[in-house]
Amino acid sequence: MTYKVIGKRVKRVEDPRLLTGQALFVGDVSLPGMLYAAFFRSDYAHAKVISIDISQALEIPGVVGVYTAEDMGDDWEPGPPLVSPPPTLENVVFNSRRQVPLVKGKVKHAGEIIAVVIAESRYIAEDAAEEILVEFEPLPAVVDLEKCLEPGSVLVHDDLDTNLAAHLIQNKGDYEGARKEADLVISRRFHLDRGAAAALENRGIVADWDEKNQHLTVWDATQSPIPIRNGLAARLGLRTHQVRVVAPFVGGGFGPKIMMFYAEEMVLPWISMKLGKPIKWIEDRRENFYATTQEREQIHDVEMALSKEGHILGIKQKFIHDTGAFNPYGLTTPLNTQSHSMGGYDVQNYYSDLTVVFTNKTIVTPVRGAGRPQGIYIVERMLDIAARELELDPMEVRRLNFIPPDAFPYDHEIIDQAFATLIFDSGNYEPAFDKALEMLGYEDFIKNEQPRLRAEGKYVGIGIVPFVETTGVGPYEGARVSVEPSGKISAATGVGTQGQSHMTAFAQVIAEQLGVEVSDVSMVTGDTAEFHWGTGTFASRGAVVAGNAVNAAAGDVRLKVLKLASKILETPEEELVLEDGMVRVADKPDQSISLGELALLANPLRGAVEPGTEPGLESTKYFGPAFGATAFGVHGMILEVDPETMMINIRKYITVEDCGTMINPLVVEGQIHGGVSMGIGNAYYEKLHYDENAQLLNASLADYLIPGSTEMPHIEVHHANTPAPNNELGTKGVGEAGAIPVPAVFAQALENALHDYDLEILETPLSPNRLYELLQKKEDNS
Amino acid sequence: MKVEGEHIFKGTQKQVWDLFRDTEVMATALPGTEKMEAVGENVYEAVMNVRVGPVAGKFSGNLVISNENFPETYTMTVDGRGKPGFLKGVGDVILSDQGDGSTLMKYTGEVQIGGKLAGVGQRLIDTVSKSIINQAFDILDQNLVERSAAEAEGREAEYQGASEKDYAATVAKDLVGGVLSAPWVKKLKGK
Repeated sequence: MTYKVIGKRVKRVEDPRLLTGQALFVGDVSLPGMLYAAFFRSDYAHAKVISIDISQALEIPGVVGVYTAEDMGDDWEPGPPLVSPPPTLENVVFNSRRQVPLVKGKVKHAGEIIAVVIAESRYIAEDAAEEILVEFEPLPAVVDLEKCLEPGSVLVHDDLDTNLAAHLIQNKGDYEGARKEADLVISRRFHLDRGAAAALENRGIVADWDEKNQHLTVWDATQSPIPIRNGLAARLGLRTHQVRVVAPFVGGGFGPKIMMFYAEEMVLPWISMKLGKPIKWIEDRRENFYATTQEREQIHDVEMALSKEGHILGIKQKFIHDTGAFNPYGLTTPLNTQSHSMGGYDVQNYYSDLTVVFTNKTIVTPVRGAGRPQGIYIVERMLDIAARELELDPMEVRRLNFIPPDAFPYDHEIIDQAFATLIFDSGNYEPAFDKALEMLGYEDFIKNEQPRLRAEGKYVGIGIVPFVETTGVGPYEGARVSVEPSGKISAATGVGTQGQSHMTAFAQVIAEQLGVEVSDVSMVTGDTAEFHWGTGTFASRGAVVAGNAVNAAAGDVRLKVLKLASKILETPEEELVLEDGMVRVADKPDQSISLGELALLANPLRGAVEPGTEPGLESTKYFGPAFGATAFGVHGMILEVDPETMMINIRKYITVEDCGTMINPLVVEGQIHGGVSMGIGNAYYEKLHYDENAQLLNASLADYLIPGSTEMPHIEVHHANTPAPNNELGTKGVGEAGAIPVPAVFAQALENALHDYDLEILETPLSPNRLYELLQKKEDNS
Repeated sequence: MKVEGEHIFKGTQKQVWDLFRDTEVMATALPGTEKMEAVGENVYEAVMNVRVGPVAGKFSGNLVISNENFPETYTMTVDGRGKPGFLKGVGDVILSDQGDGSTLMKYTGEVQIGGKLAGVGQRLIDTVSKSIINQAFDILDQNLVERSAAEAEGREAEYQGASEKDYAATVAKDLVGGVLSAPWVKKLKGK
C-alpha cells in the first residue's frame, strides 16, 4: 500500500461544523407540537413517600399531564441489569438492585424522580413541578461505607437484610507465603472520594412517537444508542425496527452517559407514546449533580511485601466500593481497580478482597478511568512509601519491578471487567519510563535545581508515575463501508461520538484502504437507522474495536474494488493501485477507472449479477477481541506549592503515552490534554461533599470546582509505540489514559515539595483547604 | 450542622421568657416571617421567606416547644419544607439570671438542611443563619425595651419588625467579616 494517511496529523473533519454551530445536539432538536418535561425530584436522600398531590400542578394552564409511578401500572419496572458479575468467578455474592423510572414507596437517593410534568413549555413545566405536594417521612440516611455494614444499620433496600451489594475475592499465587519471605511489609489505609464527570453538555432526550407510522424516534445524549434502542423496544412492546435512537453530537460522555437506562430515558418515550406527541427534556446542571452517575468512593486497606532490594513480593488489599443506591453497572468499576492495583509490575502474589455497599447516594457507574485511577493510586503510593522506608530511589524501585518486555503476553491470572482473564497483550515499559525521566530532567532537578530553589525558600516537588490501562475490550463492534456512485465513501458504525474525533480517525482508516482523501469519507456514528449492531462507546475501545471493524469492512471493499477493476482493466489485481479515488494499473497511469464508475458497474440496472456475488461495493464487518490491548504511559510533573495559600503552580507537565499505533497523533494528544485536565480536577479541585444525611453540599459549579484554562499547564506529549499484537491496526485505547495517573503524580509531587513537613498523603481528591488541614494536623501532632 | 451562641438581654428571666414565647414578637424579629401562629398547646405554624445567596423561597413548617422549665430552659424543634429544600432542627434554650437585671440566653442545637438549600446554599448558610439570629437579637433587644416602656406607660406596645434592607446589610457585613477573619488573611496582613 503506497498511500499512507494512518498516523498523519489530519485536522478534525467535524470541527468546521462544531465551531460554526452547525452540529446537531439534542438541544437543537425542535419538532412541531413538541412538549416539555420537568421533574419533581426528592430533596431527601432517604424517605418514605406517604402521599403525592398533583392537583394544583394540573390546574396550571399549559400543563398537559402529570405522571407518577402509579400511572405506569404494569409498565413500571426497574431498569435492566446492565452488567452482571463475571460468570467464571466462584463464591461471588451479588445483590442486584436497579434504578426505577419513578419512585414507588421509598426514595433511595436525593434527586430520584417522584413525578413528571409535561407542559407546553419548560417554564410552565418547571412552575407546575413546584406545585406538586409530596408528603415524606424522612429516614436516617446510609452514608458511611463501613458503618452501613454494621448490624442494625438502616437499610437502603428493605427487601435485603443487608447493605452489602457484592463481595468477591481474587487471588493469585500465595500472598501469605510471600509475606513470610519479605524484608519489609508496609500497610496503609487509603480514602478515595467522589467526583462528578461534569460533561459540558448535560443529558438530554427528545422522544417522538409517530402514531401513524407506529414508529418511535429518540434523540438521546447517550454513549450507547443501540442498547437503548433494543431496551426501549423490549420495554415498550415494540419491534426493534419500530425504534430509532439517534445520539447526535454529544458534548462529552466520560462514562455516565452509558448508564442505561436512566429513569428519564424510560419515562419520556413511554409518555410520548401515551400522548402521541414529541417531548423534550434537557437536564439542568443541578439535576446533573444529583441524577447523573458519579464515581470513585472507595476505602482501601493495603499491604505490600517487599525484599530489601525493592522487589514487590506480593500485594494484599481489602477494599470497600460505594455503588450508591443501585448497582445496574455490576462490578465493572471495582474490578478495574482490582486489575490495576498491580500497575505495570510483575506481581506474583496478589490477594484482593472486594466488598461493594449500597448507600443513599447517587448511583455509581464508570467515570473516565473507571476504577483504574484508584488502583494506580494505591500501588504507586505504596511504592513511594516503600522506597522511602527502604531508602531506595523511588524511580529505581519502579524500574526493578516492571514486567519485562519478553514476558508478554503477561497473564495476571485474575478476571477483569470484560469477564476475560486479565492478560496484558504487549508492552515495553522501561524505555518509555526512561524517556519520561529525561523529558522532565529528573536527575538534574533532584541534584541541582531543587536544592537551588529550596535554598531560595521555594517549595518545589517532582512526581513521576507510570501506569497501565486495559483498553479495547469486547464484546464487538461493527461497521459498514460503501462506495457511492459519486466516488465518495459512506460509512457507519454503532458507537456514538462524544468528542473522540471518530469522523476523522475512522475516515483516515478508510481513506488509507481505498486510496481516497479523508474529506471524501462521510462517517455516521450513533444512529441506529444507519447501523444497529454494537454496544457503545466505553472502556477506551473506539479506536481498537470499532476502528478495526472499520478497517476490516474497508479492507473487504478494497478487495471487491480490486476484483471488479481487474476484470474491467484486464489486469491482474497485484498490478493495480488505489489512489486519488481511482484504480490505476501500476506503471501505466493512463489505464484507470474511478471508484464511482466501479460502484455504478457493481450495481447494474439491467443484465445479470453473477450468482454468489453481492451488488455494490459495500461491506459490513465486525471485530471482537478475545482480550483487550493494554496501553502504558508515564506522567510527570514539577510543581510549586505556596505554603500560605496551598495554591499550586505546575511548572512542567510531561507525558509519555504508548497506545500502540496511532491513527492520528493530533487526536491522541487532544485526548491526553482532556484527560490530564480531568485528572487535575480529580487530584486537587473536584470533590463531591456529602453530609451525614447524604445531602450533597456542593451541587453547583460555583462550589464544585472544575479546573479552567488557568489551572492547566502546558503539556508536553511524547509517543512511544508498542503495537497491539492482536488487532490488525495495532491500536490501543487512549481515551481514559490522561486522567488515570494524575492523582498519584500529585500526591508524590506534593510530598516531595513539602519535604520539610514529612507528609504522607493517603487520600484523594485533595484541595488547597485539605492540604492545609493535613499540614495543620501534622504540626499539631509534632 | 451545629448551631450555638449566646446573647445578653436587658430584662429579667421572666421578661425574656415571655418575650420569646410571644409569637407576635418573634414574627417581627425573624426577617421574612410571613406568618406565625399557635395551632395547639406549644405548637406553632410558621411561613417564612428565606434567602441564602442564590437560594430563595418560602418555607412552611412547625415549631414545637417542649421540656419547658419556666423560666430557665426549654427545647425548640423546627421542621420546615419549601421549594428551596428542607430544614430540621432541635435546640435547647437556657436563660440564666445575671443578677443585674439582665439575662444571659444560651442556645445550642443541631440543624439538618437538604435540597437546594444544602446543595447550592451551603457555602453561605453558616453566615446567613448567624446574620438572621444576630439581627433577631437586635430587634428583640429593642422590642424588650419597648415592651417594658409600654408596660410602664400603660399603653399597647408597638413592635418594630425586621426590614429586608437591614437584613441584606447584616448579611453583607457578616460575609465580609467572615472573609477578613480567615486565618490566611490574618497571615497575609501580618506580612
